[in-house]
Amino acid sequence: MRKSVFISLAAALLGAAALGGSELMPVPAGIYLPLFRGENDLKEIPVARFLLASTAVTNGEFLDFVRANPQWQRSRVKRLFADDGYLQQWSGDTELGSRCTAAQPVTWVSWFAAKAYAAWKGGRLPTTAEWELAAGIGFTREDGAKEPEFKQAIARWYASPSPATLPAAGTGRANLHGLRDLHGLIWEWTSDFNSAIVTGDARGDTGLERQLFCGAGSLGAKDTSNFPAFMRFGFRSSLKASYTVHNLGFRYAKDP
Amino acid sequence: MKTLTFCICLITASLAPAAEKPPCCRETAPTTPLTDKSLYQLDSTWTSDVGKEIKLGVLRGRPQIVAMFFTSCEYACPVIVENMKAIELALPAALRGKVDFLLVSFDVEHDSPAALKAYREKKQLANANWTLLRGREDDVRELAALLGINYQRDARGQFSHSNIISVLNAEGEVSFQQTGLNKDPKETVAALEKLLAVIPGSSTP
Repeated sequence: MRKSVFISLAAALLGAAALGGSELMPVPAGIYLPLFRGENDLKEIPVARFLLASTAVTNGEFLDFVRANPQWQRSRVKRLFADDGYLQQWSGDTELGSRCTAAQPVTWVSWFAAKAYAAWKGGRLPTTAEWELAAGIGFTREDGAKEPEFKQAIARWYASPSPATLPAAGTGRANLHGLRDLHGLIWEWTSDFNSAIVTGDARGDTGLERQLFCGAGSLGAKDTSNFPAFMRFGFRSSLKASYTVHNLGFRYAKDP
Repeated sequence: MKTLTFCICLITASLAPAAEKPPCCRETAPTTPLTDKSLYQLDSTWTSDVGKEIKLGVLRGRPQIVAMFFTSCEYACPVIVENMKAIELALPAALRGKVDFLLVSFDVEHDSPAALKAYREKKQLANANWTLLRGREDDVRELAALLGINYQRDARGQFSHSNIISVLNAEGEVSFQQTGLNKDPKETVAALEKLLAVIPGSSTP
């Protein structure tokens, strides 16, 4: 039994290697157009050229991290930095077990853990603007919004429930700059996930939620056809930094 | 029981305000391990309005009323600061010197120690128990995340942000939060009374 687990683990590891693993890919500078917020909010956010990991961090990679940084192991992590769901798909502090594979993206990780991993790799988490800019790049052209095939592929994922078993990281189709799985696999942490202002805002515009999510209100939004971006916005604004979620992982970025 | 009374006296004595140094500059806090939920586990370094570099852990030892703000804020922040002052005023006289107030700026670009100092003077925030801090962008983002505060800079350089006043207990754990502007301070005061009635290490409230 143990042997077979070992073999499947080894196979999974080989699988990840065969997929080329994660590589830092340059993402060209661009302009991120945030979703409609309010009259005083930035309409355009310039994003400088940056490097982004081609795939999400996997269980196998995260295992290396917790081995090197025991304070991030399941039984040792401080509750301040991760809720009690942290790495619950693993069988132990440094064992993945049979409920997940090394090649799957790591999920059940908090923002703090993701941030610590990125720093350990000499990088950082991407900002929301960077992540969204990268996610808007199509399979064959810079502006994915002008590529019907790309838009359909995205809509398909956001419209379907998440699978019981996560596919391996890196199996999605690469975009123009070699980035995979920005859509279609998991949600991903961004460094400033807590910049989404939905309620309790300084200007007291509690109607914002309505403006964002109600049909009539969204007419004022920048790009009403970009439904997935609205979903991501809503999802991020529901998170707290210590939360862990079954389909929320991350990838890291780096300054060039 | 006698021992307990003795302890209470000792602790009360150590919390007494008499001609004390400001919160940033007191004797080093206790060295017992921090709890799992203590914000004082953060290793980030912050700068006060007099340019002193500190870790949040130096605030350990007495409750802190914490809010985030920025000095050029036109609308919400002055209200938040007034709300914090209202909490201070609403405290029973016996507790007034036993609670500290902490303001941390979102505006890493403009809120220099000098700007914080000017703000302290303008708002007449007592040196004895008000701490004003600025920090690195990442650290500000992290502290905000821990306090459940979302914020974002807008096109005019102002920040939209959640209006949350948090109560940290002596160990740096978030023990109560007042959300929204101009709330009646009585709930926060009640939370503080409860905290200050509990003697660390004893189970009796």
